[in-house]
Order: sequence, then structure tokens, then C-alpha cells
Amino acid sequence: MSEGNGSIRDDGWKVNSTLAMRRRLMDRLATVLSLLATSVALIALGSILFTLVVRGVGGLSLITFTHSTASPGQEGGLANAIVGSLIQTAMAILIGAPVGMMCGIYLSDYGRGWLASTTRFVSDMLLSAPSILIGLFIYQLVVVPSGQFSGLAGSLALAILALPIVVRTTEDMLRLVPISLREAGIGLGASKWRVIVFICLRAAKTGVLTGILLAVARVAGETAPLLFTSLGNLDWSVSLTRPMASLPVTIYQYAGSAFEDWVQLAWTGALLVTLGVLFINILVRIGFGRKGA
Amino acid sequence: MTEATHTVKSYEQELEHLRSLMRQMGGLVERQTAQAVKAIVDGDDEAAIEPPELDPEVDELEREAEALAIRILALRSPMAVDLRTIVAALKITGDLERIGDYASSIARRAMKLDMEGGPSLVGLRSMGRLVQDNLRRAIDALANEDRDASVAVWQADAAVDELYTAMFRELMTYMMEDPRNIGTCIHLMFVAKNLERIGDHTTNIAERVYYAVTGEMLPSVRPRGGRGNMASLQS
Amino acid sequence: MIGQASQETKVAEKPAIAVRNLDFYYGDNKALRNITMDFQRRKVTGMIGPSGCGKSTLLRVLNRMYDLYPGQRATGEVLFAGRNVIGSGVDINRLRARVGMVFQKPTPFPMSIYDNIAFGVKLHEKLSRSEMDARVEDVLRRVALWGEVKDRLKASATALSGGQQQRLCIARTIATRPEVVLLDEPTSALDPVSTARIEELLDELKKEFTIAIVTHNMQQAARCADQVAFFYLGELVEMDSTDRMFTAPKETRTQDYITGRFG
Repeated sequence: MSEGNGSIRDDGWKVNSTLAMRRRLMDRLATVLSLLATSVALIALGSILFTLVVRGVGGLSLITFTHSTASPGQEGGLANAIVGSLIQTAMAILIGAPVGMMCGIYLSDYGRGWLASTTRFVSDMLLSAPSILIGLFIYQLVVVPSGQFSGLAGSLALAILALPIVVRTTEDMLRLVPISLREAGIGLGASKWRVIVFICLRAAKTGVLTGILLAVARVAGETAPLLFTSLGNLDWSVSLTRPMASLPVTIYQYAGSAFEDWVQLAWTGALLVTLGVLFINILVRIGFGRKGA
Repeated sequence: MTEATHTVKSYEQELEHLRSLMRQMGGLVERQTAQAVKAIVDGDDEAAIEPPELDPEVDELEREAEALAIRILALRSPMAVDLRTIVAALKITGDLERIGDYASSIARRAMKLDMEGGPSLVGLRSMGRLVQDNLRRAIDALANEDRDASVAVWQADAAVDELYTAMFRELMTYMMEDPRNIGTCIHLMFVAKNLERIGDHTTNIAERVYYAVTGEMLPSVRPRGGRGNMASLQS
Repeated sequence: MIGQASQETKVAEKPAIAVRNLDFYYGDNKALRNITMDFQRRKVTGMIGPSGCGKSTLLRVLNRMYDLYPGQRATGEVLFAGRNVIGSGVDINRLRARVGMVFQKPTPFPMSIYDNIAFGVKLHEKLSRSEMDARVEDVLRRVALWGEVKDRLKASATALSGGQQQRLCIARTIATRPEVVLLDEPTSALDPVSTARIEELLDELKKEFTIAIVTHNMQQAARCADQVAFFYLGELVEMDSTDRMFTAPKETRTQDYITGRFG
């Protein structure tokens, strides 16, 4: 009775104290180091965003969205660049996503042997290829034969950039669909393509969509491949056969100029691109994050 | 039956315990029967004391075996040879317990009987020997899980039945000769009947052993001696 | 063709599936050796044996699921509806509608409960809206799921409990009106109550279908099957009526396995 409830003697809890001490120290050290690394990254990102907002918000007005770019001193906006970016990004995804998905399906469900491994290798190379190379490629392939820069050429370049991202995510997501689900479909007497399209793709839907959205975010901010393809256009134009403006190219052209209002527009454009990409990323997280995509 | 042992050792131990309970019971009941036969055939009153004294011990073993068998059935879901062994054990211990009772009953009658001047007991002697011998062989077959021995025991009961019928006729004759014999003869009739019942239970044991070992049932009609004759005699 | 027709008329008295001298290979690895056995019409055939003994492999031969994987091949005969179904020239999709399969883990498709059932039916039949509704209700009733889901047929099937999902999968399989239903350890992922429901369901289904069930659970084979086949190392060691197999098997290997004397 003299010993309280908590003081029943049991030496099983005692551990070598120096060992325990060292363990605790190492634990602290590792925690501190990783916190430090995280904060470096966060500070860098934060300052970029901060600068963008501070410099960019000033130029943000209705005119930005309603007026096209204009000569220095005149009231100019970014309407042509915004619409150009939207059109070219949308076109790129419309071309790149279906091709990429089909390629991903091929790799996950049909491809075997050297052709599949080669395809996968090329796709992965494309994923890390410098985007300016892709611009040059389309320049040779489309711009030179047709004799002019065009929105279509820009879209194609962006589509090639989007392609490997969609291929990768589609393949990975389809591979995550359990074999048992495929067999269940096959077991009912469904053909393979039907099982893939109606069951596997449906099961992998969130993952594949995430991949497509990530591809959108990637290509929306690309400058290099557009320099040799859609070139940029100071005037309003929605024709795919003519040079077309885009936000990244406009930023590139204006940021280095000597005119203050152009520089301001470049900052505003940069803010818009960043916000757009951020928005898509957040959309991906909110919409599909819960399902582990 | 099978040389392999269970992956679960405690299961193997439980089955072995059940078998050892049966062997213990068999030993006791064999002893009871031997002493009872000795008491009645040799008029050995000493021998007559033991069988009833052993009864409680036999009963206790039967209860223990039954509890263990039920426990294994409930907890182990026995299959195939194990299942057959357990079901056979439930029946065999019942048969052994009955045999013990009959032996005690014979021993008690032996003490009451005054055999001096009574009828000759040649038939009873050979019947007692035979029953005792069959029981011993049945218990050996049980211990050795011996299929052929169990068939031999099962067939040997025909002779017991024949001896019983013969004794029945013999005792009837005595009673008709001299009514003063009736008391003794009725006691002896019961003794013969008890021996015959022991023979039947012995046969049951042999049948159960055969089933446990082979998974087959022996035919329901076993070779019988005497019954047909006795029926005509009774009518 | 004439020979085939006369064969089909005899089918009624014959077993639903007759396996003859079947060998199966995973690449160079022989997984089934000279299997010969019958699956009796409207009976439950249980298949037991330790992991890797070939019982699931055999099941997957019966509906040619192995076709999905290169390097797997079968030789011998699997006679079903008058044809050797592992031979060439068999409409495999049709075969799989006639020999349905239910898997170890419930595999609801990522669509509504209704569409899960309609999916398989649409592959093989053109039904009107009302006919399809009737079919869906019929099979859901038969697997005793109708009462639980009738108000949420449009809800996602993946939201059902494990046991419900498995019953849905069975409903989906019988919705294509198969003659044979293959079940590959259908309750190994389920709790005892759900398991009991599935077993009860098998009792009902065997009035209409020939059933083959692979199970690791010996008690389940004992409860559900009419005949039991024991496989070991790719061989069919013994096959007999369920009560014979579990009370008095002939082979020592069978006895050792079912009494737990292996290894």
C-alpha cells in the first residue's frame, strides 16, 4: 500500500541512458535541419510571389483585360496575350491529351518488348528535353514549310510539351488500377479495349485528369517553344494561321524594354500567369487530392 | 493410418490424451470382466469384490473422455481420421462403460449364488473365457488401431451367441428336471445374458475401431450364431 | 458439324464441364499435370489444396482467363457445351459470359450499382430500358441485395460494404445468364456474417448454376460443396463426394492436408 499505483517496480522500462540521450539528440538535430531546409525553399518561393504581387498588382485594371498591347505611352493591355495563351494552351491540350492518353494506354496495357520500352524512353526524354529544342523542331517542321509563324505552330509545340506528361500520368494511373478489376471486366466477356476505356480509365479518372491539368499548368507558362513558332503579335488576332500573342512571350519582350509602362505590363502578365498556374494546382489539390491522385 | 503428426502440437496431444483415456478404460474394464468371470466360474468370492469397486473409476474416465471429445469437436473442427477417431471414442467409451456395468452385475450375482450342488457350469466357463478373450482382443485392436484384428473380433461373436443359446437350453432343462434349481438357474440365466451383452458391446467396439481406422462401416448384419434357433425355441 | 450437333444433344446428361488430360504451363513451369475431372451440372464443386497447388490455375483455365497473359498455355481438353474451349476457334468473350467468374476481392466497377450489372449484360444482349430494369432487380433480389440497395441504384457501387460488394459482383456475374459460375476464394476478404450470406447464396444458386469454388477454408468447402477435389503440386490427388472427402479420404496426402498434418 505504501507504493502508489504508478510505482510498481518493473525494470523493463529502464534503458541504457547514454544511448537514449544520443538518440534524442540525433532526433532533434534531424528535425532542426529539415526545418531549416524547408524554410529556405519557402522563403525563396514566398519572396518571388511577394515581388510579383507587389510589382504586378499596380498595373492590374480593367484595361489589362480589354485592350491589346499598344505602343509605349499609349493605353495598352494584355487582352491579345491572354486570349492567345488561352487558345494555344487549349489547342495544345486538345491535341496532346488524347494522343498522350492513347500512348499511356498503349504503354500500360498493350506495349511489350522493345517498342514499348523505346516509346517509354523517348517519352521520358521528351519530358526533360529543353523546351527551346521543341520550338526549333516545330519551326523546321511547320513554320519554314508554311512560310510564316502561326498560332497553330505554337499550339503544336506546346502539345509536344504536354504529351509526355500525359503519357506518364496515364500510364502510371492505369497501372495503379488493380489487375483484379481488369480481370473482372474480362471475366464478364468484355473485350480488352472496352475494359480499359469503360472500367480502367474510369477508375483512373482523377489521376489522368490531374495529369492533364498539370500539363496545362506546365505549358501555360512556356516561353521558349513559342518564340520560334507563334512568335507573338502586338495586335489582336485569334487566327491560328497568323502569329499569335501569348503571355509568356509578351512578358519576355516587355520585361527587357526601356519603357516603364511596358515593364509594368510584363510584371502584371507574370502575375496573371503565376496566378493561373497556382489556380490550376490548387484545383488539382482540392478536386482530386482526396483520392490520393 | 497416417505417420504424419499435426502441425498444431497441442491438437496432437489432445488426440493422444483421448486415446490414452480409452486405453485406461479398456484396461479397467478388461480387469472387471476377468474378475467377474473368475468369480462366477471358480466361485471365487474374493474376485467378486473388485468389479463393482472399479465402477466409479470407469464412469469417471468415461465422463472425462466425453468432455475431451466434445471439446476437440468444438474447438478443432476435426476432419477425416481425427473426426472418426473422436466419434468412435465417444461410442467406444460408452460401450466400455456398459461392459463394466455388466461385469459388476455378474460379480454381484456370483457373491449371492451358492453353487454347491448346482448345475454343471461347463458352458458358462467356456462362454466366460470366450467373451473375456474377445474383449481383450478388441481392446488390443483399439490400442493398435488394427483393422484385421477388429474384423476377427467382430466375427468371433458368433461363437458367443451359439454358446448362449446352448446355455439357455441347458438351463431350461435343469429347471424342468427339478424346480428347486429354478432360483439358481434364473441367476445363471442372467449371468449368461450379461455375458452375451458384453459380447455384443465388444462387437460394437470392434466395429468402431474398424470405422476409425478405415473410414468404412462394417455391414449392419453381422454373422450371428444361435439367435435363429433361440427364436424357434422361445415360440 | 453433324458430329458436333449430335454431341450437343447428349450434353444434358453429361457433366457441365469435363476436364481431360489437362496440362498447364506458366512459361516453362508446369503448373497443372494431367488433370481429369468432371464438374457436375447444378452441383457445387469445391477445390482445395495448399497455396500454389494449381486450384486457382485450373479455375482460370475454365474461362480462359489465362489468355490475358503471354507465356501461359494449356494443353488437353476442357469440354463445355460440346466444345473443347481451350482449343482454337472458340469465341472467348461468349465463353466468359457462359462461364462467369467471381474473384477473391470484391471488384465493383467505378460506376453505379445499376451500371455494374448492366455493363456485363449490355455486352451480350440488347435489352430495352424496362427489360434491363427487370434484369437488374431480378439478380439483385437473388443475391439478397435488392432490399438494401433498391433506393440507391444510381449510387456508386464502391460505397457498399465488402460483403455487399461481393454479392453485387455475384449478381453482376449471373446477370449475363451463365451456365457455370467460378468463384475464386470469394469470401477470404469478408467477415463471418458476410461469408455466411455468400454461402447461403451458393446453396440457392446451385439450383440453377454449376458452381466451382476455390477455397482455402476447408470448413467452407465442407459446408458448401457437393463434391470436393484436392490438389497438390499441380496434381489432382483425389476427388470424391464432400462427406467422403472429409470423413474418409482415400489418399494419405488428402488426409494429411485436411486434418492439418502438413509441413
